[in-house]
Amino acid sequence: MSDNPLLALSRAMADAVEMIGKSLVMVNGRPRQPATGIAYEADLVLTADHVLEREDKLTVQTYDGRVLNAQIVGRDASTDLAVLRVSGLSVPVVGPAAQARVGQLALAVARPSPEGVMASLGVVSKVGGPLRAGRGTSLERYIQTDAVPYPGFSGGALVDASGAPFGLFTTGFGRGLAIAIPMALALQVAQTLTRQGYVKRGYLGIISQQVKLPPAQRSGGQESGLLVVRVEENSPAERGGMLIGDILLAVEEQPIRDADDLIAALSGDRVGKPVTVRIIRGGVLQTLTVVVGQKP
Amino acid sequence: MVLASAIDTTQALAGAVERAKASVVQVRVGRGGVGTGIIWPASRAAGQSSLILTNAHVVIFAGDVDIVTADGRIFGAALLASDGMLDLALLGVNAALPAAEVGDSQRLRVGELAFAIGNPWGQANVVTAGVISGLGRLPQSMRNLPYIRTDVRLAPGNSGGPLLNAGGQVIGINAMILGGDLGIAIPSHIADAWLAERLGRAPAR
Repeated sequence: MSDNPLLALSRAMADAVEMIGKSLVMVNGRPRQPATGIAYEADLVLTADHVLEREDKLTVQTYDGRVLNAQIVGRDASTDLAVLRVSGLSVPVVGPAAQARVGQLALAVARPSPEGVMASLGVVSKVGGPLRAGRGTSLERYIQTDAVPYPGFSGGALVDASGAPFGLFTTGFGRGLAIAIPMALALQVAQTLTRQGYVKRGYLGIISQQVKLPPAQRSGGQESGLLVVRVEENSPAERGGMLIGDILLAVEEQPIRDADDLIAALSGDRVGKPVTVRIIRGGVLQTLTVVVGQKP
Repeated sequence: MVLASAIDTTQALAGAVERAKASVVQVRVGRGGVGTGIIWPASRAAGQSSLILTNAHVVIFAGDVDIVTADGRIFGAALLASDGMLDLALLGVNAALPAAEVGDSQRLRVGELAFAIGNPWGQANVVTAGVISGLGRLPQSMRNLPYIRTDVRLAPGNSGGPLLNAGGQVIGINAMILGGDLGIAIPSHIADAWLAERLGRAPAR
């Protein structure tokens, strides 16, 4: 029996769950259903932003049953990530990440209840990006899996058959998608969150809706733009001279066809910098200069 | 750890399924109702009868119960005992049938491979695979009994059928589906203890 490869695989997967399970904590941040977090540094836990429905009275429970207080270090709704500080955490931190390839076995592992670790099996279904799922959520890269996301799995780990993490598991991007935020990306956001508590993200201060461009004003195959329906007071857009009724066509020569294009154009590195904004006003093409602000 | 090739591994799964299948029966009740049953090791049983474990909810309100073996033979079965709270029922069949190998469900690990053989939606001998997703305990009001959670895809008709480990041994009796995608199984050691108790009291017919 010992040379049965199926038994060897089975044992390896149980070992993988046991190993990663020690780095997973149960996160109490909302009524009823707890979620999961991954210990990645001595006193730091990475979790999904959407499972934190309150900002105080947060606790975590470790694999060995200790219940500890946790404080939010920073959170970022756009990437659905949050960092918690837990003093006296004292659990093994997560090991080096694994590169995800489509078709690889993948285990979703989480700690959704005090009863212990839970797991579901699937494969890496897709490695892709960017993912934009409304409400300003945005991920440059993501890993999709068919492993079942049980309640409380958000904030858990998607791991390979040896227990190495592909990424942080979440269903926070809606549409019933079970995805993992690649570990490298998640840790990069975590680093920013521990440094400044938020992630830089550009902001104009307009409310807009997508409109079809009149045929005479299309160029380079661009068929739509964003009609400005509101300009917030004292916003970067107002200071730059944008008005209700303007149709936004491009930012720094990047065409703006829809809200996703605008989110992509307003990346964090543009905060505080002037950008050229091409608009149609009263049927006439104009160019404005707007200094991009930080998203409040 | 060096793992064997994927082909060897999947062939090992196919082999385990093939061996286990002979001990899995279809349980037919009344008009068209179908569940699954497991031919249980019957060393404690009197006579030549084979014992079959299934869920109580499969047979409890049924009139006549028939079982269909993997090789297509049909036998009438007698309901020997049942327990609604444990959701277990014991059937007796007057024929020597190949018993399943029962594994140790007291040493299950989350993440280990698991598979099911059953008759979901009445389709015969359907195999589904996944892992042990979790190990839980029922509330005190239900004797605090342990149960198995699994992501192995189950459907009505899998009830009473085996949850098997990578060695093809029975580790649980599939009993319930929660939320459409979480399978609940009764650990085999709980079923075996119940069976031993029943056999101690009342011998098979």
